[in-house]
Amino acid sequence: MKHEDSTILNKYGKDSGFKVPENYFADFNKRMADMLPDVEITPIDVKPTMWQRVRPLVYLAAMFAGVWCMMSVFNMLNGSGDMNSVRAVAEKLSDDKGNVEDFIMSGSVSDYDILNYEDSVAMSNEENVSDVDQSK
Amino acid sequence: MAAREKYDEAQVIEQLRNQATCKVAFGKVIEHYSSQLYWQIRRMVIDHDDANDVLQNTFLKAWTSIDNFRGDAKLSTWLYKIAINESITFVNKKKAMNQMSIDDEESFLVNQLESDEWFDGDEAQINLQKAIASLPEKQRLVFNLRYYDEMKYDEMSEILGTSEGALKASYHHAVKKIEQYLGETG
Repeated sequence: MKHEDSTILNKYGKDSGFKVPENYFADFNKRMADMLPDVEITPIDVKPTMWQRVRPLVYLAAMFAGVWCMMSVFNMLNGSGDMNSVRAVAEKLSDDKGNVEDFIMSGSVSDYDILNYEDSVAMSNEENVSDVDQSK
Repeated sequence: MAAREKYDEAQVIEQLRNQATCKVAFGKVIEHYSSQLYWQIRRMVIDHDDANDVLQNTFLKAWTSIDNFRGDAKLSTWLYKIAINESITFVNKKKAMNQMSIDDEESFLVNQLESDEWFDGDEAQINLQKAIASLPEKQRLVFNLRYYDEMKYDEMSEILGTSEGALKASYHHAVKKIEQYLGETG
């Protein structure tokens, strides 16, 4: 690939023509290190913050919450799943049981039914007796 | 001859944070970065003695503010930032002292080049330096960092605080202007 600076590079190269005195860098490094004034270094406080301490736990909890949400959504989208059928049956049974209990607890309804039943039986018996008398 | 100790930046940064070892560690930093920082400064200020002064100021400034370096950025990025700021400040001060306008900057830098005893470039190299001197300050900086130091745009972006796209555009314009300048001057 042709670089945009290849024309300059081919003609002029990378030597800028600048020079330094002999041993300049070795001398400079020594001179510079010797002239450094004393400075006070403040040690960095490495004690972790509250957030840094609880962060892994928060991330873990968030991950579990995410997995739980995903599973809920998955189950909702696949409504005919085994677990759902079992749960639906259990709820239905629970509802039926409630109705039966309500029925048993409601005594007046039960008595009325019983009286009606006794009346109808008695009337039927009377009709049978009168039929027998007429035939005699 | 004793083998030169390998430079381990992470270890040096650790030592810089310790009062007992920071001075020795900074000596290692000087040894490792003096050459590359010098050449960047030299291409901006041209004259060797000026480059020497600016390099010295760069390391002194870095050392006195070492407590502010927390290791968030690379040490080289931090040092380059200081060196570039020092170079620009120096050139502007010198221009102000000589009461020069922006238009005179090119001739000022060329004069610096011709009077520098530590420049022994041929005609072509003088022409290239004149062409670079004709660029605006930012383009000159970008061109030097890219052309001579082969610095990557992402690193340059961190140092100069400019987007990579803008730096690429700057370099492109710089190359075109230099080619045009060299074409006109022969």
